[in-house]
Amino acid sequence: MEDNPDDIELALLGFSRNNRQENGSHYYVIEVARNGEEALDFLFARGKFSDRPVGSNPNLILLDVNLPGISGLEVLQEIRSHRSYQHTPVVILTTSDETSDIIEGYNLGVNSYLQKPVSFNAFVELLQQIGQYWLKNNITPPKSALSALR
Amino acid sequence: MRVIEHKDNVISAIKGRSIARRLLVYIIFFSSFITLIATSIQLYTDFKRDVSVIESRLNEIESGYLASISASLWNMDVRQLELQMDGIKHLPDIQSVRVEEASEQFANPLQLTRGTPLTIRQISREYPIIHRVNDEDRMIGTLYVQASLTEVFKRLWEKVIVIFFSQGVKTFIVSLFILCIVYYLVTRHLTDIARYVRKVQVEEDGPHLQLQRNDKAENDELDDVVQAFNGMMSNLRKAYEDLRQTNAQLEIDILARKRAEQEVLYLNSVLEQKVRQRTAELEAANKELAAFSYSVSHDLRAPLRRIEGFRRILAEDYQQTIDDKGRHYLSRIEAGTHEMADMIDSFLRLSRTTQGEMDVKRYNISEMISLIIKGFQEREPERKVELRIEQEVYADVDKRFFEVMLTNLVDNAWKYSRQKTVTEIRFGTQQEEGECVYYVSDNGAGFDMNYAGRLFSPFARLHKAEEFEGTGIGLTTVQRIISRHGGQVRASSAPGEGATFYFTLWTREKNSGDGNHTASGRQS
Repeated sequence: MEDNPDDIELALLGFSRNNRQENGSHYYVIEVARNGEEALDFLFARGKFSDRPVGSNPNLILLDVNLPGISGLEVLQEIRSHRSYQHTPVVILTTSDETSDIIEGYNLGVNSYLQKPVSFNAFVELLQQIGQYWLKNNITPPKSALSALR
Repeated sequence: MRVIEHKDNVISAIKGRSIARRLLVYIIFFSSFITLIATSIQLYTDFKRDVSVIESRLNEIESGYLASISASLWNMDVRQLELQMDGIKHLPDIQSVRVEEASEQFANPLQLTRGTPLTIRQISREYPIIHRVNDEDRMIGTLYVQASLTEVFKRLWEKVIVIFFSQGVKTFIVSLFILCIVYYLVTRHLTDIARYVRKVQVEEDGPHLQLQRNDKAENDELDDVVQAFNGMMSNLRKAYEDLRQTNAQLEIDILARKRAEQEVLYLNSVLEQKVRQRTAELEAANKELAAFSYSVSHDLRAPLRRIEGFRRILAEDYQQTIDDKGRHYLSRIEAGTHEMADMIDSFLRLSRTTQGEMDVKRYNISEMISLIIKGFQEREPERKVELRIEQEVYADVDKRFFEVMLTNLVDNAWKYSRQKTVTEIRFGTQQEEGECVYYVSDNGAGFDMNYAGRLFSPFARLHKAEEFEGTGIGLTTVQRIISRHGGQVRASSAPGEGATFYFTLWTREKNSGDGNHTASGRQS
């Protein structure tokens, strides 16, 4: 979720640099929501995303904090209260390094809080690490185990 | 009227427990005692005289009667003898007369008695009755004469009664007279004085004590008393007046003090109001600053990152289509964005150093600065460093802020002495006007004191960026932190001769402005 078109473009460019397999297909699919409402509509398959297949919930959610309307932290709060997203990895990716934002983010149950570096190289590296860690290496609990936990 | 009143007073004086009564008793006792002694003496002499009169009469009997009685007895002329005896008997005070014939010559001697003899209060005499026969004295009998003292005692008793009565009356009259005199001269004045003293008011002026005396010949003890009393009274009045005035003054003072206290209360409330207002303003300013630094961290950094992102893509993905000059411009853009990113970071650090609660405790500053310098040495171990750190320097500081401050000073010294073969860094204290002044000095490039005023302003730099890197925020941070520690900071230097930064902590007069004045104050 990101509201600035430049940032969206740069992030997509960054991801595209390490999201290409040798056979030309992608490791992962990226969906962009431009504000909080859109993000929630997408995640809960409602509004203009009501026809989204239910089984295709995202494996990783990247959130910006400062957004017009519903903020990233509010989105975080909303999805964490919902059963199906309780254990989905959520990473906050933002320019702010305010202590209050960081603490608030972790209090609401974010898995990782990352500050966007100014250097594009560093940014690309960070995106790569995110992809590597959360989508390739990190093992989420199996659905059966989750239902057992509840 | 006055006389009656006085008489009543006198009577009441006698009756009551007063000086007059006691005086009367004393006079009566003493006078009675004297009277008793005098009367006794008088009576005794009277008695003596009466007795001597009787005795001389008895002696006269011897010379007047004895010869004729002798003749009568010798002749046994009883009749004559009785006549003679009656003659003696009729003499004054003679109680009884008895004639006895000498017993050795006759078996039945003649005994004649006139009057009844007494056993008490009498004087007895016996005379031998001698008759001359043939030139030979012969005792033919004895004459007994007894004189009575009854009359003497009777007279004495009458005298005693008269004397006692007259003396008693005299004593009583004299006593009364003395009493009246005492009353007239003393007691009534004492009563007057008592009445006056009972009535007299010290608060207001009244008439002086004046006794009603006509016999004002010269001053006596009572006048002394009156004078002393009036003197005391005027002194008292003066003292009372002084006291009253002092009280009035005190009242005025108390009023003034109360007014001052009210004023202080009022000023305090105004001050409190001001403090509240200032606090609110400060809080608002702090919130504004927090919002500002937030927007700096977020909003300024975001476009910068975009510039850098797109520049990077241009530089990497479009290498072939951009010529060397274009690539050069792209590198200039890169340098600019990096510089701006550094400035934003240091600006954020600066704004954060002036926020947050301070936790002031006593720390060893010598150890603190030694550790910081050690960190710099570890990063550049090839540099030769000579340190002179004064040991055991303690100060009350907030550790986190103070470490940031010292790091900035050391960083400054470290940076500007880079071109020297040996870096010298000193830390120590010195006393200036009773205040402890801390200093950190180096042997680096130094600066021109003419520009010292700009030293502590944010983003102000005295050296070209090519010579020494930096954002121009370090000394501003130092100044802010020192200011939060109630101190001031200043620098002294000359180009090429190193720089010394002096700072104080918790100065007594808190005129810590924004610190620039202190620095500029050192300018020549």
